[in-house]
Amino acid sequence: MRRVVVTGLGVISPLGRDPDTLFAQLMAGQSAVGLVSTDGPAGQHFSIAAQAAFKPEQHFSAGQKTDNLDRASQFSLAAAAAAIGDSAIRVTPDNAGRFGVALGTGMGANKSLEDAYIQLLLRDPNRLKPLTVLTVMNNASAAHIAIQHGLGGPNLTYSCACASSAAAIGEAFRQIRHGYADVMVAGGTEAILTYSGFKTWEAMRVLAIADRNDPSATCRPFSKNRSGLVLGEGAAMVVLEEREAARRRGAHIYAELVGYGSSNDPVHITKPTVDGQAQAMRLALADANINAESVDYVNAHGTATVLNDVTESRAIKQVFGEHAHKLPVSSTKSMLGHLLGAAGAMEFVISLLAIRHQAIPPTAHLDVPDPECDLDYVPGQGRRDQDVRCVMSNSFAFGGTNAVLIARQAEA
Amino acid sequence: MTKSTFETVQEILASKYSLPIESITPAATLESLKLDSLDLIETLFEVEDEFHIRVPQDRGEDVTIVTVQDIVDVVNKLILQQHPAQLAAGQQP
Repeated sequence: MRRVVVTGLGVISPLGRDPDTLFAQLMAGQSAVGLVSTDGPAGQHFSIAAQAAFKPEQHFSAGQKTDNLDRASQFSLAAAAAAIGDSAIRVTPDNAGRFGVALGTGMGANKSLEDAYIQLLLRDPNRLKPLTVLTVMNNASAAHIAIQHGLGGPNLTYSCACASSAAAIGEAFRQIRHGYADVMVAGGTEAILTYSGFKTWEAMRVLAIADRNDPSATCRPFSKNRSGLVLGEGAAMVVLEEREAARRRGAHIYAELVGYGSSNDPVHITKPTVDGQAQAMRLALADANINAESVDYVNAHGTATVLNDVTESRAIKQVFGEHAHKLPVSSTKSMLGHLLGAAGAMEFVISLLAIRHQAIPPTAHLDVPDPECDLDYVPGQGRRDQDVRCVMSNSFAFGGTNAVLIARQAEA
Repeated sequence: MTKSTFETVQEILASKYSLPIESITPAATLESLKLDSLDLIETLFEVEDEFHIRVPQDRGEDVTIVTVQDIVDVVNKLILQQHPAQLAAGQQP
């Protein structure tokens, strides 16, 4: 079976667009969460979220048309260009048909859809931007990435809420492994920090209650005083490549993607199950053909909802047994917020950076231990000089999809 | 300042697609300006606002737009249909 390596990384994150800078800030426990405002019908609406530091002019030339690109598409195009540049891979007419795109997004082109409805329902019932369909369709991001780089292979968009981009990377991995493509640009994007975006999540009462003393500490995964998730935005893309081809061209290899597990909790639209999450982790381990004891770090889904963090902790204990108590498990959502459809890809990238830097990022704001969450969550500060050879990244979604990725240090 | 329909269409195309104004002649085909069918749809949207006209959904049935002049012809025809009162007051399309 063909093996798959990661040769390029690209991020647009609430902690910047350079992967190593992002990782350094995470290591220091630096949170990007803060107060943001959106325009609503009753004026300014304030929310707590992690906004991406994104300047379109840094990513698009003056002549490039961006008025039909939603913010989510702009994020993904910028992240994909960075990942492809980082991999130094060349697309030629001969190989373009073997290059594909797999992208995950949960809520799609939120801002453009909001603008379209405001225009149509409140301003003029007969006047809508003519290319609205092309802007808001969920596969707009994947399509534009392929057009920009001339990628003629499989072009697929996955939408399974918070597991979307982990699934996209996992499915892209299979495309290469089973010979349908040689290179896949894979990842996810989300841009939901709009008035309607916030209101839909507020209505569900899953957002964290703002920390009035320190808004940046609002997201507290695995802490007894956690109160819910904090929304974030951004994109993360990786270049996946067939290992022998990557070696032949002397590519820099970040890690080998070795396992993908996919399962579902078929009982409730939001309620996670220990068994479903554990099954996805077990399938990923079996797919990687490794023992649970080989895993050195788990980047947890860790949303900071009461239910997720207990369920995930129990699932990790079920899968890892005794090893669970020696295994560092952290939630970087404490600093980046929940990037929903982009979360899995962002956290996969962070997991690869843990291998690259031999360091484990922390769970920030974990102040009050929860007896029901009794693992080593790396509270506060990251740990340097660690032996990180094999990492697991967990993503679990509303709707029940569980997607788990395992990567390990590339063999010399 | 008085402007012809052509001049207004020319300005819309030049500004929207960063085209040199001299390249937009009446006989220039949209293809030669590297404008595709989606660009045409967006251009018609702007033209509608500029001239306060509405291009009917079925415009494609009897009109084929190939050149800049074809856009001008469509606009003029719709102004005559949709704004006869303004013409009577002496405005020229």
